[in-house]
Amino acid sequence: MSLLLEVAMSGLLLGGVYALIAVGLNLQYGLMRILNVAHGEFLMIGGYVTYLLVSLRGWNPLLTLLVSGPLLFAVGLAVHGLLFRHLVRLRRTREELEANSLLISFGLMFILQNVALILWQADMRGYRYLDQPLQVFGAVFPANRVVAFAIALGFTILLFAFLHGTLAGTSLRGLMQDVVGARLVGLPVRRMHAACFGLGAALAGVSGSLLSMLYPLTPDIGVSYTVTALIVIILGGLGSVAGSFAGGLLLGVVEALGVHFTDPAFRMVLKYGVLALVLVLRPYGLFNTVARRPEQMQKA
Amino acid sequence: MSAQALPQRSTGSGDPRAGVLLEIKRIQAQYREVPVLWDASLMGGRGEIVALLGANGAGKTTLMRAVTGLREGFLDVTGGDVTFQGQSIAHLDASQIVKLGIAHVPEGRHLFPGLTTLENLLVGSVARLARGQRREALERVFELMPRLFERRHQLAGTMSGGEQQMLAIGRALMQNPTLLLLDEPSQGLAPRMVAALFEIMVKVRQAGVTVLIAEQNAHQVLSLADRAYVLEHGRITLEGAGSQLLEHPTVRRAYLGL
Repeated sequence: MSLLLEVAMSGLLLGGVYALIAVGLNLQYGLMRILNVAHGEFLMIGGYVTYLLVSLRGWNPLLTLLVSGPLLFAVGLAVHGLLFRHLVRLRRTREELEANSLLISFGLMFILQNVALILWQADMRGYRYLDQPLQVFGAVFPANRVVAFAIALGFTILLFAFLHGTLAGTSLRGLMQDVVGARLVGLPVRRMHAACFGLGAALAGVSGSLLSMLYPLTPDIGVSYTVTALIVIILGGLGSVAGSFAGGLLLGVVEALGVHFTDPAFRMVLKYGVLALVLVLRPYGLFNTVARRPEQMQKA
Repeated sequence: MSAQALPQRSTGSGDPRAGVLLEIKRIQAQYREVPVLWDASLMGGRGEIVALLGANGAGKTTLMRAVTGLREGFLDVTGGDVTFQGQSIAHLDASQIVKLGIAHVPEGRHLFPGLTTLENLLVGSVARLARGQRREALERVFELMPRLFERRHQLAGTMSGGEQQMLAIGRALMQNPTLLLLDEPSQGLAPRMVAALFEIMVKVRQAGVTVLIAEQNAHQVLSLADRAYVLEHGRITLEGAGSQLLEHPTVRRAYLGL
């Protein structure tokens, strides 16, 4: 297999995890216009949960998803109940909610990072798991990347199936599109908001657990993943799981190829370059249909 | 100022309150401390079409929102009461009111543009109907509006204005309501579509649903209405049977241009 194809495939593998991170943030931003820039910190906590269970208790990292997911769901519910619920209730316009949630979640980001610093210090922490080579379609990848991709893909498919194949998921998509419409048909809007925020945080936690199998952890890893997720959401369109998935894969491939041809130091430059291009050429996202254009969506 | 009541049409019942489903009693409401409704009272019997006439800004939308609890934009109900089947509902929120069987099609419709017709209808039934009742409700809506069946897999946001209005009514009917509130349903629609909508209203009434319609299209709505009210500057100024209001000089001058 050609080297380029191999590089692109390794980008796809990482892109699958990017997609899962973005899907979680998309649930929160697409549904409630809560711009939670502490999303990456939920991911960081998920990573440390896995690290601690693996290094102190000898758990299999995959098993730790059963802890990091539910734990971060509970954290998400608590954060929503304590902070964002009031913002949503008091907001007068969508813009006001976006601005206020951005400010509050910035604060939350610093608090969570510093708590992590106090608990686990700034040292890099990690463990080795499935780092032997694995052959896939003639190319060789670390086995842990393939496993992380498969699990991220599985979660994304499950979420897609829930949103498109069940009445509860369809109702959630409806709520994302028109909150007044949701009230008119009697949907429990507040409870759905809380559950969605929790679900978004849980997906961040699971993503963190998966990433901890690949890279070492520090308390400040969250920010770059938040930015990555925001770029993927803009690529894929607000509220669209399939769009986030495609956007995540695309960003992964662009990043891998770009780094291959330039230098790893250009990683963030490349990501922002993709973002700038999309914002100029397709401001509603690469895959957005007419009906999903933001100006036709009801103000949340 | 109290409303000028026209002689009531005989309903065959001695008690004028028999069969009353909805009663709005001297309601007062304001937006951000700006009063919009003063002492407005209204009554709707079971299986009646009740028309609410009024110019833009007269308070029709506010009156409807006071009934359905849709308090977007800081609407406060500051006085009076709303009763439904004899029970006060003024303090309930929108989702509790939906569960009682009151469905609302507001101005702007508020459909889910990225969902298909079928998905919009099914989501409409979630809060009120058990799983087993949904298919039956769906069949009723499709029978009433075959156009929706033809468009069942189309995204709501890509349909024409008239079809969207039908879908909004269909989604409300998926709640199996006892009372249906329609805010300016004919606004912006072609005359043929308006006629079709009013035909649907008649069939909905035949099914025993009370329909409260706020309209500026006075002629059509009054010729159907069992009861009608004129709302001016937040006050009910005229009430009576639809056919009586059609003949009333004020209505003829102000709303029919005669």
